[in-house]
Amino acid sequence: MKKEIAITAYKCKKCGKIHYPFHDRCLDCKGREFEKIKPEGNAKLLTFTTIFNLPWGFDQRYLVIGVVEFENKVKAMGQIKADSVDQLKIGMKVKPTWEPVRVQYGEDVYGLKFEPMK
Amino acid sequence: MRDVAIIGAGMIPFGRRDEDTLMDMLSYASLKALDDAGLGDKSVDAVYVANMGGGMLQHQSAIASSLVDRLSLLPAAAETIENGPASGASAVKNGLLAIASGYYDTILVVGGEKMREVTGWRATDFVATMTHPQAEYPYGITLPGMAGMFTRLYMEKYGVTREHLLAISLKNQEMGTLNPYAHVEMALDRGGIYDSPHAIVNNPVSADPLHLYDLCPVSDGAAALVLCTVEIAKKTGKPYVVIAGFGQATDTHTLAEREDPTDLKAVTLAAQQAFAMAKLKPSDVSVAELHDAFTILEIAESEHVGFFKKGEGGKAAVAGKTRLGGQIPINVSGGLKARGHPVGGTGVAQIVDIVWQLRHELPENRQVKNAEVGLTVNFGGFGNNVLCFILRRVQP
Repeated sequence: MKKEIAITAYKCKKCGKIHYPFHDRCLDCKGREFEKIKPEGNAKLLTFTTIFNLPWGFDQRYLVIGVVEFENKVKAMGQIKADSVDQLKIGMKVKPTWEPVRVQYGEDVYGLKFEPMK
Repeated sequence: MRDVAIIGAGMIPFGRRDEDTLMDMLSYASLKALDDAGLGDKSVDAVYVANMGGGMLQHQSAIASSLVDRLSLLPAAAETIENGPASGASAVKNGLLAIASGYYDTILVVGGEKMREVTGWRATDFVATMTHPQAEYPYGITLPGMAGMFTRLYMEKYGVTREHLLAISLKNQEMGTLNPYAHVEMALDRGGIYDSPHAIVNNPVSADPLHLYDLCPVSDGAAALVLCTVEIAKKTGKPYVVIAGFGQATDTHTLAEREDPTDLKAVTLAAQQAFAMAKLKPSDVSVAELHDAFTILEIAESEHVGFFKKGEGGKAAVAGKTRLGGQIPINVSGGLKARGHPVGGTGVAQIVDIVWQLRHELPENRQVKNAEVGLTVNFGGFGNNVLCFILRRVQP
């Protein structure tokens, strides 16, 4: 079953700046009221890396990770579904999904994953 | 505001110190600094202890209270200061402000960390706990991972190459072989890690485009300083060091929220504040200790503090301008890359190394000739909390 992306971003009601994650005051104008928005559409890959020395909790050889910008300007980190960075390029389009990103205390933790688009 | 001097500096060799507890290391470094200051049996007014991981790695809290007791410095005021990898410089800053304000006259600042008693897997996770708990940490991001993403952008924007990064690895590890306090005392061979068929085996990718030898080691270690008023320093009759300038700035917690992630705004601001306070400019600096947890950071910081224009730091390193005898010697100690990076201790250790440089007491092969002004950058998080100090030699 396809799961909906469960992160919420915050658009400042005063100046329109988009924040993710949450801040109590707008990083630009100090406004305290925000409209909750969802990341929309596909995303653009801003930067990425493959991590070979993983932290406790990741029992795998490597992990491809990156930062993206959605079509409605929400920026977020997530895991990238690629076997190697050779398949990736700054600026390429990626498709977001909401999937398990790690296991904690025997339970799946869901988060953003991005699939490179042709 | 009163001027503040440093009259004592001490360090213990960094590395893997299985035989010592965290408290042992903090005590040994403290005694060295107290003895160097010539305090004898006299006490200090306050003790600031920089440590990031005692609670997580040693299951120990209230470390400063324990240390004053162990060192028989009772009833000195005592606090533990946790500010990620910038804890060390934060503790020095608190000492600076307390003396400058006129409240205290003499303060012991000590920073240390014991990281090697857990596996690399756990140590990597411990350091990653400074990333955003919802927007970054769950994905498995690590600090080398952050640095890898930063390096990719810096390469794209400023034309930094692996050759530039290599110049930092070679220089700092060469200097580490001359430093008896360094964790890594092994010079690197260019072919062995870069342009031979064996290089990918010896120097595998860690977080591309960064390789193993672009990263600092995980270290145990501690360093300490004694800060005091200039009046007290003058009485020693020996050359001493004054804190001429200081700056600190913060930046967004997540890398994703920075308008230009290659712009280390907190480094620029901290350095500008420090230069303004010291009434000095980058060309006045004789020697610098920059926070090279990753080779790219030495290059980026050398540009952001104003030693080189953006995009010129890597070329300057390749041209030898940052070597001993060059235009601005950087990380003559070997830096975090070779001296090591016991996270809470690093900011203090950088200043200890600069104090030794400014007192002109290092062996010829490590001493910057006639060093008068030194600069340090202690970089917390991924550039979200940065401190810069400018130190000046005073000859009584």
